[in-house]
Amino acid sequence: MFAAFVQGPLIRVIPVGIILLALQRTIFVEIQIDGVIIQVMMATAAAAGVAGGSERGALVGFVFGVMFDLAEGTPLGSTATAMTVAGIVGGLLALIAADPQWWFAAIFTGLGTAAGALMIPVVRVFVGEPEPFQDRLAVVVPIVAVAGALMSPLLVPLARWCLRMKRPEWTQPINDPSM
Amino acid sequence: MAIYSVGRKRIMLALLLTSALLLTLDLRGNPAINAAREGFGVVLDPVESATGVVTNPLERMWHGITNYDDLERDNLALQEQVDRLIGTQAAAEAAVIEGKELQALYSLPSLSGIETEVARVVGYAANNLDQVIEINKGSSSGIAVGMPVVNQAGLVGKVTQVSATSARVMLVSDARYTVAVKVTSSDQAALDTPTNTSPSGLDPDGVVAAATTTTAQSTTLPPAVVPGLTLPNGLPVPDTTLPGSGADLSELIDPETGRLLTEEEVRDLAAALAEEPADSVADAITEEIETPSASAATESSTTTTTIPVIEKEYGALEGRGRLRLPQIKFLQDNPSLAELQVGDLVETAGGSTSNAPTGIPVGRVANRADRAGSGGPLLDVELNADLARLNFVRVVLYKPLAEVGQ
Repeated sequence: MFAAFVQGPLIRVIPVGIILLALQRTIFVEIQIDGVIIQVMMATAAAAGVAGGSERGALVGFVFGVMFDLAEGTPLGSTATAMTVAGIVGGLLALIAADPQWWFAAIFTGLGTAAGALMIPVVRVFVGEPEPFQDRLAVVVPIVAVAGALMSPLLVPLARWCLRMKRPEWTQPINDPSM
Repeated sequence: MAIYSVGRKRIMLALLLTSALLLTLDLRGNPAINAAREGFGVVLDPVESATGVVTNPLERMWHGITNYDDLERDNLALQEQVDRLIGTQAAAEAAVIEGKELQALYSLPSLSGIETEVARVVGYAANNLDQVIEINKGSSSGIAVGMPVVNQAGLVGKVTQVSATSARVMLVSDARYTVAVKVTSSDQAALDTPTNTSPSGLDPDGVVAAATTTTAQSTTLPPAVVPGLTLPNGLPVPDTTLPGSGADLSELIDPETGRLLTEEEVRDLAAALAEEPADSVADAITEEIETPSASAATESSTTTTTIPVIEKEYGALEGRGRLRLPQIKFLQDNPSLAELQVGDLVETAGGSTSNAPTGIPVGRVANRADRAGSGGPLLDVELNADLARLNFVRVVLYKPLAEVGQ
């Protein structure tokens, strides 16, 4: 079990998550665009989905979400659900292209982030919170999505490293005797 | 190889169900989850501190780029405000004195008698839904869940989570926040425009007492009392670090004769007031007491303030989220008093079960929306406190009367 943990993605995902959480709670609270806080953890979860597929994206989103809920005092599992969905959506969209260009990956990451941002009020409705859907959501979601897309050239490689993945090699070996 | 297999679906489903399970456990209240929160906070704290130090230059650079024009504009506006405040501070001082005295006469609870704990804001919510701040004081400083939090301008929020050395404060603007408030009217013009009268406090036209003084509404003060400033005549401005508190009144004056009342006369007046109903007490005070603004007086004139205050209605103030004004519901116009209107003052109503004591200023009515039927009007409230720029706050160590002794 210990070996599985050491060799698995969590050994990297957790420390990266803590650093991202610290960044989220410090600099990203200050750097707001039109009063909207950029969701870097959500974007990373979506990027993990784009880089490693839905299930890995879901795993990263779940871990990040639980950490976020523990630190923020929000109902445990609420943000985890939203970030899990962000990872799943990012991964599902990435199925469109086998090895997407960086800008394609950016679009997928942005859309995954938007899905996660939309899920937060949905979960809060189930929790029984009053008026989680506000007009402001129309501003929040696009800004969060665009910010996620812009950060994806950094976040996709980071997610790939966390998940111990290497870029797929699609080129045919030149010195292959079978050719 | 199947890219999207049933096994992978199961993993995702399992994670989502686990999230739902955690959510259920947390909402039902689970000590293990609370302990996990505390433990994770301990782990995260040093990382967050280090990150804050490292990213501080970036934050400043960002603020330098984005806020420069705003700062310049704010600076000019503040300078203008300071100039205006210097002109009206004498009136404000008189109002402080009057409010304090009348509170003492009524024996009403006010913030001046309640201990507070100053705390620094160390964090804001990192999502776009919650309106929550984190402060650097916790249960070790006597802070408990439910206690109101104020700054010099008025109500900021209430404590919702407490650990040993930190606490979370839900801001008034949070959609989950509700507090009982009362709406009162006040003649703001009287505060803005100081009136010069004779040294005895008599109005030149002979109309004195009808509009003089207030009930226990020290909370009707504008943010006109600036610590550290001095009056034009060199006297210091009273330090009102808490909303609803003020300087002590040392002297009362008879408006008719202009002489100072003796202590015995003041005691008699207080005893008479205590025996009368509240409305007649207010009338009596209106007729009997004229409060001098002794410290602000010049040789030739005395500045007095007239603040007729009417309690109009009680209601529930509810936050509505970021960038949306909080709203008061459950109101009805009371024709025998006055109509609820824009500019009316809003302050906490108190009560035996309320977490906030009476008299904490909240803000002013900014909009009124009438609803059909028996719904009554909705009032949008412009908060006194600027919730976007909180640095230091005070936690009022107040326990509702219903909980005292428990």
